[in-house]
Amino acid sequence: MMNSAVSITGYGIICAIGNDASSVLDSLRAGRTGIGQMKYLGSKHSGLPVGEVKLSDDGMKSLLGLQVAEPVSRTSLMGAIAVRQALAHAGIKDVRGRRVVLISGTTVGGMDLTEKYYVQMRAGDPHPDVPHGNDCGRSTREIARFAGLDGVETCTISTACSSALNSIILGAEMLDRGEADIVIAGGSEALSRFHLNGFNSLMILDGRQCRPFDETRTGLNLGEGAAFVVLERNAGNSIAYVSGYGNRCDAFHQTASSEDGEGAYLAMKDALDMAGLQPGDIGYVNAHGTGTPNNDASESRALMRIFRDRMPEVSSTKPFTGHTTSASGSIETVICLLAMQNGFIPANLGWKNQASGLITPTPGRTGVRLDNVICNSFGFGGNDSSLIISRNRPETKSAAVEDRLFSVAAEETVDSADQLSGLKEFVPPMESRRMGRLMKAAHLAAFRAMKDAGISCPDAIVTATSRGMYEISMQFLDDMVTNDEELLKPTLFMLSTHNTIGSAIAVRTGCHGYNITYSHGDESFAWAMRDAQRLIAAGKADSVLVVSFDETCPAFAEDGYSGHDVYAKALVLTVK
Amino acid sequence: MEDLILTLKKQIIEALNLEEIGPEDIDNDAPLFGAGLGLDSIDALEIIVILDKYYGIKLANASEGRKIFKSINTIADYIEKHRTK
Repeated sequence: MMNSAVSITGYGIICAIGNDASSVLDSLRAGRTGIGQMKYLGSKHSGLPVGEVKLSDDGMKSLLGLQVAEPVSRTSLMGAIAVRQALAHAGIKDVRGRRVVLISGTTVGGMDLTEKYYVQMRAGDPHPDVPHGNDCGRSTREIARFAGLDGVETCTISTACSSALNSIILGAEMLDRGEADIVIAGGSEALSRFHLNGFNSLMILDGRQCRPFDETRTGLNLGEGAAFVVLERNAGNSIAYVSGYGNRCDAFHQTASSEDGEGAYLAMKDALDMAGLQPGDIGYVNAHGTGTPNNDASESRALMRIFRDRMPEVSSTKPFTGHTTSASGSIETVICLLAMQNGFIPANLGWKNQASGLITPTPGRTGVRLDNVICNSFGFGGNDSSLIISRNRPETKSAAVEDRLFSVAAEETVDSADQLSGLKEFVPPMESRRMGRLMKAAHLAAFRAMKDAGISCPDAIVTATSRGMYEISMQFLDDMVTNDEELLKPTLFMLSTHNTIGSAIAVRTGCHGYNITYSHGDESFAWAMRDAQRLIAAGKADSVLVVSFDETCPAFAEDGYSGHDVYAKALVLTVK
Repeated sequence: MEDLILTLKKQIIEALNLEEIGPEDIDNDAPLFGAGLGLDSIDALEIIVILDKYYGIKLANASEGRKIFKSINTIADYIEKHRTK
């Protein structure tokens, strides 16, 4: 580690309660929700309340001054709007000669466009400007282009609903290790009929405005938006500092959190330890607080384990914004910054009834001084992360120790569906029944590599994929279009997120360690390897499982991967 | 009722990808969740889709399923009483 602190020097935000930071601040202080009747999404399920950004696609284009007639994903448009605001806020006009990295978190990517043009795509008449599926890396490259950051290094993280928070964590790590001068990190996620129907199939959408931590809560409302922060080392114009973070895996279930909130507990504990803070030093927690019965119970348990009798003010701001899924981590980080800078605590809007065994959220406060706040962000598969933001510069860390070297202890490849019968050695058929061929291939490569390396549980799991569970996602999309948004299979949606394989391996190995998924096109594997090497170099892991995987899908056979229908490569990296 | 039970078993086997299991392997009274077949919350949601798709039964929330989905027999009873198609 370097002898430095990671400063936040600017931020930008667009979401249901405002198209910039000052309007978001006004809404938070006034207790004004952005959740309501859908206007732009065009779903059959129009009765479900959503937190839409109050701009049409054309409205966003004109805000950006884009003179383009062709369709552009809202994920890219909102991302570019937030990045531009963040750069202006940080006073960055020219990035030439500086090593700049844009890191974005998304899962939906350009799916909002894909689903609009899917029928003509399937009929063999694709729109030339519309991507296939949720190609996340493409969104980030578009954000860079529309935000005037052509040519900067870009990266995409896709750990479902913790994606954006993990982007900020990666940015801080890269700065800390001197890999960049400026990092713009956050996330962007458009509403799509794809994930609205997905969450609906999981029966966790509330038909009324969501009520996190309330006894009567029945689920979440989806939202959309983007937020980015500018991170720099030892900057003179710091707004606040990134003082601690933790990325852990609950390793429990693909769509359910454990009863004792182990992943969330470990993430918060790591963040506190890293920041050198005690629970009593935290003034506010922006909870993940989705409003589902399961999340809020599990997160409450984790908060009680961390804070015991010193529970700080806690609120979920999702009743304002809706659950902005992959963007929620950065949107809520910016909300934390607004709270810290303006001396208030946002309310847990809509809460009325104390739930047994759950925390009591705050009604909101004004005139408070916040020195340290925690932002929680949890994703499907138990990809749980926590971030601590501090007003004061954290104490400088001990002198840098020499980087540790790594070696590749094992490497295995599976590149044909014919090999998948070998999975029986590691996974009973009853437990692999839902996997689909890509997940099977990735598991087979991973468990063979771990066997070769003589480990049963790695310290960390890093996965890489360009298009994720492509066949299964496109099957869900096809069903959605064919069945007119009815009778969709929850199993397909559960499996559709890019982090589904990394977290499933964590569940199977019981690995509660660092867990992340890169989805940045052809560069996904290179980013994953960089992360694995960084973990070992910095002494954060002695063994890292890296799994890279991709597949074709019948709808878009031309998107082949290395000439194979299915391809998975697994490596075990260990400290030398 | 026996026809319904056989059809239902086939629908569950297909929806849940129970590849190596035949209708005869599922005991009509055995628990489906936890100790029995070892199904989980996602499987319960798939069974909710089956009720809707083939029998016109809509459950308002997932927790209703817990009582109904104890065994093949309890599901078949519920279908008999509530089916609209």
